[in-house]
Amino acid sequence: MPPRLARRVAGFGTTIFSEMSRLAAEHHAVNLGQGFPDFDGPEPVKAAAIAAIEAGQNQYALSMGQPALRQAIAAHAARFYGQSVDPETEITVTSGATETLFAAIQGLVDPGDEVIILEPFYDAYVPDVLMAGGVPRLVPCRPPAWTFDPAELAAAFNARTRLILVNTPHNPTGRVLDAAELGVIAALCQQWDVVAVSDEVYEHLVYDGVRHVRLATLPGMAARTVTVSSLGKTFSFTGWKIGWGLAPPALTSALRRAHQWITFATSTPMQAAAAVALGLDDEFYRSFADEFQARRDFLVQALRDAGLRVSVPQGTYFVLADFSELDHPALRGADDTTFCRWLTTDVGVAAIPPSAFFSEAHRGIPRQWARFAFCKRQATLERAAERLRHLHQHRR
Amino acid sequence: MSRFAQRVTGFGPTIFSEMSRLAAEHHAVNLSQGFPDFDGPEPAKAAAIAAIQAGHNQYAQGIGHPGLRQAIAAHAARFYGQAVDPKTEVTVTAGATEALLAALLGLVDPGDEVIVFEPYFDCYVPDILMVGAVPRLVALRPTADPLNPLWTFDPAELAAAFNARTRLILVNTPHNPTGKVFTAEELGQIAALCQRWDVLALSDEVYEHLVYDGARHVRLATLPGMAARTITVSSHGKTFNFTGWKVGWSIAPADLSAAVRRAHQYITFCAPAPLQAGAAVSLSLEAAYFQALQAEYSRRRAFLLETLRAAGLRVGAPQGAYYLMADFAPLGFTGGDVAFCRWLTLEIGVAAIPASAMSPSATHWARFAFCKRLETLTAAAERLRRLRSA
Repeated sequence: MPPRLARRVAGFGTTIFSEMSRLAAEHHAVNLGQGFPDFDGPEPVKAAAIAAIEAGQNQYALSMGQPALRQAIAAHAARFYGQSVDPETEITVTSGATETLFAAIQGLVDPGDEVIILEPFYDAYVPDVLMAGGVPRLVPCRPPAWTFDPAELAAAFNARTRLILVNTPHNPTGRVLDAAELGVIAALCQQWDVVAVSDEVYEHLVYDGVRHVRLATLPGMAARTVTVSSLGKTFSFTGWKIGWGLAPPALTSALRRAHQWITFATSTPMQAAAAVALGLDDEFYRSFADEFQARRDFLVQALRDAGLRVSVPQGTYFVLADFSELDHPALRGADDTTFCRWLTTDVGVAAIPPSAFFSEAHRGIPRQWARFAFCKRQATLERAAERLRHLHQHRR
Repeated sequence: MSRFAQRVTGFGPTIFSEMSRLAAEHHAVNLSQGFPDFDGPEPAKAAAIAAIQAGHNQYAQGIGHPGLRQAIAAHAARFYGQAVDPKTEVTVTAGATEALLAALLGLVDPGDEVIVFEPYFDCYVPDILMVGAVPRLVALRPTADPLNPLWTFDPAELAAAFNARTRLILVNTPHNPTGKVFTAEELGQIAALCQRWDVLALSDEVYEHLVYDGARHVRLATLPGMAARTITVSSHGKTFNFTGWKVGWSIAPADLSAAVRRAHQYITFCAPAPLQAGAAVSLSLEAAYFQALQAEYSRRRAFLLETLRAAGLRVGAPQGAYYLMADFAPLGFTGGDVAFCRWLTLEIGVAAIPASAMSPSATHWARFAFCKRLETLTAAAERLRRLRSA
């Protein structure tokens, strides 16, 4: 028998998300691990999906995406960011943002090209680069500010750099990159003629009046940015798997060339519903951010009451909490993975160890941190808070 | 800055998108792209709708909704006597298209050779190129029968394509576009070569339930020695007429499934959750559904076959899938298949696919899809009648 798997996937294990979700289920823990809501999105969107199935919109969509959804994506970009996007040549609909990222990298990165990735990173980024034969160049963001060192970032760029992967608002730190940070990235991209793939799936989850800036809207960046977003995060339908890429025609062409062979097309009735979702009125978007801010505030308080130090997120639906103030026999010398396992099995709340978002070399950076998701019903968060309260007695 | 990666440089838009666009612009009856112009079974729609209403709207398990994986295993047992473990041997993907790419990414290294029969479904060769492998094409050729040309391969030619660098063979049965249903004997030849050269088989069987005239679909994985080395790919779209739901799957032994899953988790992570619930119901439909499906498609096939033959084309009666391969040489048209299909779309008002898109050497063949309502086929027939006088 020859080797039973290709070299490119030999290093891929099962994700920590699957592992923690399984552990959570086994121990009946409140699952604040994986980032999906335990509630549904808006009724009119569900109604639109049902109507599409009933009306017979059940055969192949256009490979690049249904015209109505591409128009809705363009209208959304104009409405929130003043972008002028041509739905015919600049938008591609995919099976979730995960596929958009994979397709963009397949379409743009040659074997041996370098791709800069800011750490911590979403778990698909490095495998995506490896599956295209690219070489990941990792630049860490460090606590407490969870930002990068501009000199370190600049030193990562070179003539072999093809692409930089940016994620704002950022999972898992909750950082919303500010204009200065984005400006540093934009200047380096232009200096080195590098394309940016900007994962902005949490674009509408920003708090405290912070504004999300779309990287593509910075001077000089429209021509070299692939913006990635999705239905799942903004409308709480992560299971519908509708994502999209916005990019100038030449970059869109690269993305589409890959996409047509990856999945060819995306589910037709869900696209009809996504078009309705994007067109919802301002009140939806406002109350959506307000509700998540209330959930964030509740979980931040619960974690503080438990004796953890919290890095209050400006965006996304994740909180990073530092557990180094806790003093429990099980936690002596514990790293983040040990802590999250213990928290799941002994306290009954599942979280994700952020070292999963770092490369081997930088795995020590978050060793006293854990990631908690607050995209959950109030009742779920209250149950988690009750359990977390027991931690307080172990405070140093 | 806007250079493409090498791997996609040679890829144009698919001929399917191009012909569908042309058909729409010229109000042609579209027999090009292989999707039905009618819906699948009501219980599947009802189940998908119920899943949406019941709140099954968040990420499914990456490997697939447990209910669907169980239904896929039960279907394999029911139709092929296969014993499949839904936990370790089934992976649900965003359509069969993703399953094929995930299998190649998970199992084939750059420089490996992959054998593929031509004509081939259009994504096969790009998929092979995307993983940095080398396609080795083995021709299916039409027999000279003036009335009923059928497609076969030369066993010696196939054997000669295997060598120490061969990693995998891509098989498609029932076959798109020729409608060929590989016989047990042909599959036996493939199986023997796979075992002799220690090669994996990726078997695309999305048309498994669309077979005619008593032909039997044989699952390659059920041949002696093949279960351990075969990845079977199928989908909900073709068997249940929901091509737009994009629910596909692979069945493979645990270690090969692990390779598929490692790639799949980073390609799409999971397939649409409520539509997986619908697919689970479809697979469990009773025998009457599958019988009626074959009977309806048999009628459609007979109608279009008769129409094309009456119009003067040389067409074989395919044993499977939902396409007819028509040789237009008897019409005296000499401009090549792309020109013929454009002319047919613009002047006659019926769109088809030029076969050279799937086999560069097939220059006088066009593929017509018959997965259409009888009204649609009748409208096409009225227009095709004009071919005789043109």
